[in-house]
Amino acid sequence: MRAPTRSGKILVYALMALVMIFFLGPILWFILLAFRHPSDAYNLPPEFIFEPDLGNFITTFVDPGNNAIQLVNSVVVSTGATLLSLPFALSAAYALSRFAMRGKEFIMNWYISLLIAPPIVFVIPYFILMSWIGWAGSYQAMILTLQTLAIPFSVWLLKSFMDEVPLDLEEAAWVDGANRFAAFYRIIIPLALPGIIVTSMFTFVFSWNNVLFPLVLSKQSTTTLPVGTISFFASTGIYWGHLAATAVVAMLPPMLIFLVLGRYVVRGLTFGAVKG
Amino acid sequence: MKFRIRLPYLLLAPSIIVLLALILYPLGFALRNSFWFWNLQTSPMPLYHSGLDNYRMVFQVTPFTEALKNTVLLAGIGVFAQFWFGMGIALLLYTHLRGMGLFRALLIMPTTLAPVVAGFLFRYLLEPKGGVLTWLLQGIGFPVPPQGFLGNANTALFTIGVVDTWQWTPFFAIVLYAGLLSISEEVLEAALVDGATRWRLFWSISLPLLRPIAAFLVMIRFMQLFNSFDLVYVLTSGGPGTASRTLSFNLYREGLVNYNIGLTAAMTWLVAIIVSIIINLYLFFIYRKREW
Repeated sequence: MRAPTRSGKILVYALMALVMIFFLGPILWFILLAFRHPSDAYNLPPEFIFEPDLGNFITTFVDPGNNAIQLVNSVVVSTGATLLSLPFALSAAYALSRFAMRGKEFIMNWYISLLIAPPIVFVIPYFILMSWIGWAGSYQAMILTLQTLAIPFSVWLLKSFMDEVPLDLEEAAWVDGANRFAAFYRIIIPLALPGIIVTSMFTFVFSWNNVLFPLVLSKQSTTTLPVGTISFFASTGIYWGHLAATAVVAMLPPMLIFLVLGRYVVRGLTFGAVKG
Repeated sequence: MKFRIRLPYLLLAPSIIVLLALILYPLGFALRNSFWFWNLQTSPMPLYHSGLDNYRMVFQVTPFTEALKNTVLLAGIGVFAQFWFGMGIALLLYTHLRGMGLFRALLIMPTTLAPVVAGFLFRYLLEPKGGVLTWLLQGIGFPVPPQGFLGNANTALFTIGVVDTWQWTPFFAIVLYAGLLSISEEVLEAALVDGATRWRLFWSISLPLLRPIAAFLVMIRFMQLFNSFDLVYVLTSGGPGTASRTLSFNLYREGLVNYNIGLTAAMTWLVAIIVSIIINLYLFFIYRKREW
């Protein structure tokens, strides 16, 4: 495309600066809140320069550190949900990527309809079921029910990565005498490995950020960090400092993963439908 | 030969069986309970058969129609705003000026946040006393309601939409930008040579070519916003009164605050029917001809 004129460039940069202030400003302001002394949370006019105070992090994660266990829980639940979804998603994605079959489009749409269905519809019956079978408040209750999102998402994204592994390579392996399973393990898995890792990282983030399932299905000792932030809502007011400290820790892993994923972000957020 | 035909279905089976079990159980459970009177606070088991009472009660006891109206308004207006703001930012990125790569990588940060965290960010900024955004808006003479934007019945729902738009506009921006990149430059250059203005180029070439991507994004986001619970929970809890109550929050209130399981089950089915009508209409009109 033709390069913009000088004044056009200035206009674009000015607009972009406004855009960045609007979208990043609130996040930065909240990170600063986590380092403020609790009594300074409402100081106006806003103070940008102040002596950072680690008190909020110490109270929430070290002493008494009630939120430290929630960090562990978040890792357990998100990792568990990701690992459990992989075998189901890998085989389904392979089938959808490699075979011509009747009803393929219907099946793909069926998976996506689960991703856009209202989870609250499922979660209330789960809440009762889990207490009946003695899984109330357990990790496995959260990990299992998160599959309603993790499996359909991973199937879509993995299929888009497997579609890119050339069929020729697989066929060459069959000619060499490998059966389908051997070809799957020796050709598809290694070549689709970057895709599998990207998919796992996204599944991890989406499970990490999910609040509804742990909010309803966890108990105090198994709840996750994003749910933990809600507990600072007290009837006497909001403990902004503590809340911000836990929220900042909760937001770091997804942010870092998105930065690492870079060019795959578009693909992940659109379940593989847009290559980016 | 027979094995080869069956193999793909065998491979699909485990995921489909797990998912069906995870969906059909709650829906079946809810269907049965929707015809029973059952409040968890009074009994661990359904008490008596109550016919269609629960379905009637959904409209009489809970603000169901108001919640439906709020939900549709929130999702419709929110997605419309996100799409066009996102498109504007995508066009800024498309100028390919120096630094746009970095902007794009940082821009997506709001979308990475858990919706509850996004909610807290704005609750802090919008505090009626001490919130920086409230302070700034008052400073430029903008009429801020005395209870704050989240505490005022006229602005609460709109403010939830603004926060969701803040969080998801970057998503539209970077995906639409990826879509713009996939449009062949030769076509655009040819149209420019033929004397088309940039404005015309965008409306007559770029936008129609983005249609499949746009349709997909709008569907996903419309439904996510339609279902949104976390943000409503943190920002307003459906309040003040029921001014910003959405369908998801209405279900949560009846099910997990009032523990009225029978009534919740009836509402679950009403919501499931509404959602499947929306999804199927959408798939029918937009995706009839699309191959995945």
